[in-house]
Amino acid sequence: MDLRYSEEQKILRNTVREFAKRRVPKTLVRELEEDAKGFSTDIWKEVANLGLLGCAIPSCYGGVGASFMDLTVLFEEMGRACIPGPFLPTVVASLTILDDGIEEAKASLLPDIAQGELILTIAALESEGITGAKGINVKATPKGGNFTVRGTKFFVEMAHVADRLLLATRTTNGKSAEDGITLFVANTRTHGISTEVIPTMGMDKLCEVRFDDVILSRQDMLGGTDEGWPIWQKSLERGALIKCAESVGGMQACVETTVNYSKDRVQYGNPIGSYQALQHIMADMWISMQTSRYLTYEAAWMESERMPCAKEVSMAKAYVNEAYKYVTKWGVRLHGAIGTTREQDVALYYRKAKAADTVFGGTDYHRDLVADKMGLLRDS
Amino acid sequence: MDFALTGEQLEMKRQFYEACIELEKLKPEGFAGLESWYGSDEYFGYHRHCAKEFAKRGWLSLNWPPEYGGTGTIIDVALFAEARGYHDIPGVDPFGVRMLAPTLLAFGSDELKRKLLPAIASAEATWCQLWSEPDAGSDLASLTATAVRKGDELIVNGQKTWTTGGHKADWGFGVFKTDLGAPKHRNLSFLVVDMKTPGITVEPILFMDGAHLYNAVYFDDVHVPAKNILGRENEGWKVFNLTAGFERSGGGEIMRMQCMLHDLVAYCNETRRDGKSLACDPLIRNRLSQVACEVEAARTLCLSVVDLQSRNEMSLMDAAGIKVFSSEVGQRLASLATDILGPFGQVKFSKWSPLSGVWEKEYQNFMRVIAGGANEVQKNIIALYGLGLPKAK
Repeated sequence: MDLRYSEEQKILRNTVREFAKRRVPKTLVRELEEDAKGFSTDIWKEVANLGLLGCAIPSCYGGVGASFMDLTVLFEEMGRACIPGPFLPTVVASLTILDDGIEEAKASLLPDIAQGELILTIAALESEGITGAKGINVKATPKGGNFTVRGTKFFVEMAHVADRLLLATRTTNGKSAEDGITLFVANTRTHGISTEVIPTMGMDKLCEVRFDDVILSRQDMLGGTDEGWPIWQKSLERGALIKCAESVGGMQACVETTVNYSKDRVQYGNPIGSYQALQHIMADMWISMQTSRYLTYEAAWMESERMPCAKEVSMAKAYVNEAYKYVTKWGVRLHGAIGTTREQDVALYYRKAKAADTVFGGTDYHRDLVADKMGLLRDS
Repeated sequence: MDFALTGEQLEMKRQFYEACIELEKLKPEGFAGLESWYGSDEYFGYHRHCAKEFAKRGWLSLNWPPEYGGTGTIIDVALFAEARGYHDIPGVDPFGVRMLAPTLLAFGSDELKRKLLPAIASAEATWCQLWSEPDAGSDLASLTATAVRKGDELIVNGQKTWTTGGHKADWGFGVFKTDLGAPKHRNLSFLVVDMKTPGITVEPILFMDGAHLYNAVYFDDVHVPAKNILGRENEGWKVFNLTAGFERSGGGEIMRMQCMLHDLVAYCNETRRDGKSLACDPLIRNRLSQVACEVEAARTLCLSVVDLQSRNEMSLMDAAGIKVFSSEVGQRLASLATDILGPFGQVKFSKWSPLSGVWEKEYQNFMRVIAGGANEVQKNIIALYGLGLPKAK
């Protein structure tokens, strides 16, 4: 056991830190929030050129071939830096294609993803906002050799600029909700797909995506007909973990900013950081961050080693969701009124924390999974 | 970043769990937690039996230097603590083994090491800690018990309190004022005291539920050899700080929580209320899994601290963080468990008590949030020494 960052991981962290310091000041982050596209193509390309999009893609597909653990460390720094752009959904979708796509799909998509030539996103939630299989009802009806897709997905990150959607549909109403789910990698330019950006607190371009008799072929399928649920579950797991890593990075930024502010801000003749009430809150913030960090790291390590870790992932997401919101809430409050203004970094992280808590599963969804995994039996 | 244990560590872990499973079969009825160790002759006898079994295997001196019989590392110590914690097995003197032995190794004279270490490793001697006083709890440095030099002896006068197991101890260690003129922090010496020395009186202090763990210890002109000082005279505060930092990771307590959680899950599966099992109740599922996530978070934070300890890199902040978090989770778990048990949560160990009344005991247990440095003080440590926040003027 050695929980230090490896040399490669230290390089990854420094690469992102240096890049963010140089190219992604918070003023730009806030500007891009107001921008219709929501990210800078230049920055997207530069991140790709640093090899970050292809971090965990094997070198035979043009990636760096690093581990999932390395990817986790990378996204922790991305979360700390708050770099705008569809990095997370692209990477998570790429790992699904890598693990479960047919060779043709891998060969045609992964190199372009690693180069930053393709933007992917994940179309998961629907009108009831349910993460599990029960929430997947966008219908894919077989017609000839193809499928006709009808329905609406919500909160699809950056769908308005994405090239491909990893899409979960229902092809059959089986005995259980998990039976009858089919996955597709759909080209967003397919006739019948329309996208509209929903204004959200996180200002992260979450979209409503409508499918009006969209025709997808068998070649677009990922996995077999009605066999998508295990692949989707795995995808949700990876996404949840990477989101946790991003959140840990955001907490780090928030704790640092708040501690530093409290050393400078003077009221009643003393720096406010000398007052015990605030000191205790900051101690609690630090503890929340550290526990989130190691809970996430252990689950990510298990994922990286291909150990079954569904329980650990859900524990991490359920815990980190709440921890990130807690840390950022107090980050804002310890800044006083100024913490609520647009110019303050803590306010940015506060909004991001709320946006993070429903992506790849909200707290109660994951707690229910944990309840199952820890052996609390439902009556038959 | 690697969470894997080595082959040797996995084998040691297997041995630790195997030994604890065997010893669990001998556990007397109603035995639960540290309170029980010193609580009755039967319980204390069980603790001593476990101690002898561990001593036979060399497990009480695991991470001592090889020249003193040590065969493992701090990671083995942590794995051993986890096994004992999970099965709630006594046998490792928290004071002699976990605190005094490493202090002796760092600060003891050769004579003291030769005299005291073997009996710690063999479990022949039981130890207690002589720290707090009625007017010196969190602010230990303001203590007033004196140890005044007279030739090659120290004459000790004063009162110590919260001395765990003092009524069963052969030896004690503590800090006393040896220089009445020097300023705070520079006037203390760290001593070891034979508890059978004339002039020492031990009186029980009972918990709210009547359990006997703590004692007041009175010193009335007690003669202690001056060579019983560890480190240098009047530099006892430095020694104290080292001692207080040992075994901070607390993996045993976390594993005990995990075990109790497992038993609680089984209880919820087996117990019905209003036609349904408790395990079906969405509120119970949500709250239990929330705490389960927190216990897991404590476990992974503990691993990070053990990892730092293995390279001597654990800071005051790291130690304080795990102490606060783990103890607070423990209180939340006890609170939730007694909620789930409903009115039966208040029942003492008896034919009526669910889960052997363990939660009735645990609910009244404030040890981990107050003892070993109250959590509020730990948060000060995190803020001042960890985050570098300024001291109030």
